[in-house]
Amino acid sequence: MHVAARVKRMMWPLPIIFLTALSLFAMIAIMPVHAEDTALAGSAGCQALQAKYPMLKGKTLVNALTPHTPGYEALDPQDPSRYIGFDIDLAEALGSCLGFKLTYKPVAFAALLPTLQSGQADLVISDIYATSERAKAADFITYSKVFDGVLVAKGNPKHITGINTSLCGNIAAENTGFVEVPLVQNLAPECKAVGKPEPSLQLYDNNADCIQAILAGRADTYINDVNTVDQAVKAYPDKLSKAVAVTLPYSIGIAVPKNKPELRAAIMAALIEVQKAGVETSLLKKWSLDAGSIEEPRLVTQ
Amino acid sequence: MALFIHYLSLPYLWLGVGFTLEVTALGLVGGLAIGLLLAGMQLGRIPALAALARGYTVVFRGTPLILQLVFAYDALPHIGLTLTPVAAAALALSANEAPFIAEILRAGVIGVDAGQILAGQALGMTPRVLMRRVIAPQAIRAIVPALGNETISALKNSSLASVIAVPELTLRSTQLASSTFDFFSIFFASGVIYLLLTGGISLLQLLFEAALDLDRRAGSGRIAVWRKKPSATAAPAASVSPVAVESQSEKMPFHVVAGTVREERHAKATGEDIVVEIIKLHKRYGDQIVLDHVDLKVHRGEVVALLGPSGSGKSTLLRCINHLEEWDAGIIRVGGRQLGYGVDGRKLSPRDIARERASIGVGMVFQQFHLFAHLTARQNIAGPLQWVHGLPAAEADQRAMTLLHRVGLGHRADALPRHLSGGQQQRVAIARALAPNPSVLLLDEPTSALDPELVEEVLEVIRLLAEQDGLTMIIATHQLRFARDVADRIVFLADGVVKEDGPTHEVLTRPRDPLTVRFLRVMGAQQAMEMPG
Repeated sequence: MHVAARVKRMMWPLPIIFLTALSLFAMIAIMPVHAEDTALAGSAGCQALQAKYPMLKGKTLVNALTPHTPGYEALDPQDPSRYIGFDIDLAEALGSCLGFKLTYKPVAFAALLPTLQSGQADLVISDIYATSERAKAADFITYSKVFDGVLVAKGNPKHITGINTSLCGNIAAENTGFVEVPLVQNLAPECKAVGKPEPSLQLYDNNADCIQAILAGRADTYINDVNTVDQAVKAYPDKLSKAVAVTLPYSIGIAVPKNKPELRAAIMAALIEVQKAGVETSLLKKWSLDAGSIEEPRLVTQ
Repeated sequence: MALFIHYLSLPYLWLGVGFTLEVTALGLVGGLAIGLLLAGMQLGRIPALAALARGYTVVFRGTPLILQLVFAYDALPHIGLTLTPVAAAALALSANEAPFIAEILRAGVIGVDAGQILAGQALGMTPRVLMRRVIAPQAIRAIVPALGNETISALKNSSLASVIAVPELTLRSTQLASSTFDFFSIFFASGVIYLLLTGGISLLQLLFEAALDLDRRAGSGRIAVWRKKPSATAAPAASVSPVAVESQSEKMPFHVVAGTVREERHAKATGEDIVVEIIKLHKRYGDQIVLDHVDLKVHRGEVVALLGPSGSGKSTLLRCINHLEEWDAGIIRVGGRQLGYGVDGRKLSPRDIARERASIGVGMVFQQFHLFAHLTARQNIAGPLQWVHGLPAAEADQRAMTLLHRVGLGHRADALPRHLSGGQQQRVAIARALAPNPSVLLLDEPTSALDPELVEEVLEVIRLLAEQDGLTMIIATHQLRFARDVADRIVFLADGVVKEDGPTHEVLTRPRDPLTVRFLRVMGAQQAMEMPG
């Protein structure tokens, strides 16, 4: 009894030691970015912006996100109480430039813009493509080009070669609200023209469900951001592969409410500073994303 | 397996359980509050409120919870009400649970035997007392399993709050799965956590059911200790004469009141003041006339037997005297007070009718006994004395024991009605009706629901009340022999009309109306066969 109790007492601190070590490790891992952030905050450009937009300084803004996209935004598997990814680092960089802090609100992808519109969030940096449809609900400031990957079962048994007639008669898994959804739907006339059945869609709520659909054989493909596809292939190298990468005529953007022009201007200006300081490029590198996807900030509005 | 254990013990997931429980608890408490309101509105007497509650039920039961959650979270801010995720989830879950809980509550209330409500009303309970003391305690027992179901359903429904950013168990599981790709170990772990939670609720439900189990409570005898009730062996008060029915196994002696004694009493009674006076009482159900201008006077100490075929209006007449029924025309006075109207001449509300009943003092005994099923014999008698007449608990209990001894059931004081025979139940019911010292006791076919061998013990009690106490009684019966033995006067009712009204001996031996003649012949022949000798 005594021995057991002692063993227990000895074992308890182990996870704590483990967690402490992990967080130390994590801190070291993200240190360079922090150093960059500090440098960024002190830069003349950012100082000027903080003077120009004093209402953001010291504030805490809410970033709504769909944290199911490792690389962009997902839980830290080592410390699930925090989010990590390119978008998170970019948001933090914007925050240090303008002097605000961030909290994160996880919602379903289709709920991102309604959450912003209802005032439950101040901005959305969540790998969301700035389409003209979405620009009716919010203004977008673009920061990256879009490269999609076509995720298929290992060996691509259905010979899918992109968003084209190779999809006819096949099943695509997508998330509700994704831009890929109408692109797949629009293939119907083309499929009809070549005498093939139209592609069908399975709509889910997050990447995990879409990937599961392919693993379970329910869907033939999942077309999404190339990084997401790469991560999935990395996790299931024996079961999944990337058929091809396609360029979509979209950009990824930061969504801000339509009724806050000052916030929009501040974010736009800060993004320019962040890019100028080379922070975005180093972040792309840090998260193994294609550095060529960087795009000059552009406003998409309706 | 190792991964499963890792996730099962991950504090991150268990922190989500806190949110799951918080949202569930808030949703249930809010749902119960709104549900009580909705059930009350639907059970109440105001049609507009009932319609409103119905409308609410249609909308909130008929739309998916997930839409309600998104509405509370994303639509309300547009009218200036920005709720935190947990508050929005609690609001939506409350609004969604409410109609379901309201229906459970309503089913519980409706499920309480109508006779119990009638008995409560007859004892002068106001609607509020009736709800609190009779309906609610029985309804609660009936609805515990359904509420257990609803709690589990609410707990599982709370997982939908993940769509509005409540960091509860499901949201944490899906996010974790997305970032680690360990789908199955994570979902198995969170499934096991959910099972632990719902298992806990099931356990709580069983504990509640056990705690509310009447048989355990009554059987253990612990309740007497908890409530510090006076002992069951309290001696009957000296002023009350004990009845000869001490043991149920003993066959009770059959006293016959000599005809002459009865005639004397009748003569004496007619000289006394009038206790019940009915003038031109008229009542109809739709096209059917139930009581057709009935006149009746009952004097103090008089025992009147109401005879007549079924459907003749006997029960209705008794219920009118206790104002359990409304009537269309005519006047009823009890103890000189006119029933149904306040001093200002206005019709009384149900609450005022209850107070009227309590103050005028009309006791009623029903064919089906209608003892309160959740109360012991002693509580059945003492309860109304406390709740309606405001007697202190000790005094009410003492009176209950005295009366139970009188009807020969002192030894069964702590038995539940369901553990008593029909005859014993009816004796307790008589004791309950007598407890507030009514000026008149109405008995509606008091032995019709009893097995033949149990009839006698009840008749004996009634007979002694007539002989020893000189209690004024109106008894609807078709027991001719009993009427002959105990009644001073017989009133024969057919098709809502008083066909014959006179001294017992006269009506039984020299009936004038052909209907009475036929009735007496048929009933007499039947009962001669039932009770030979």
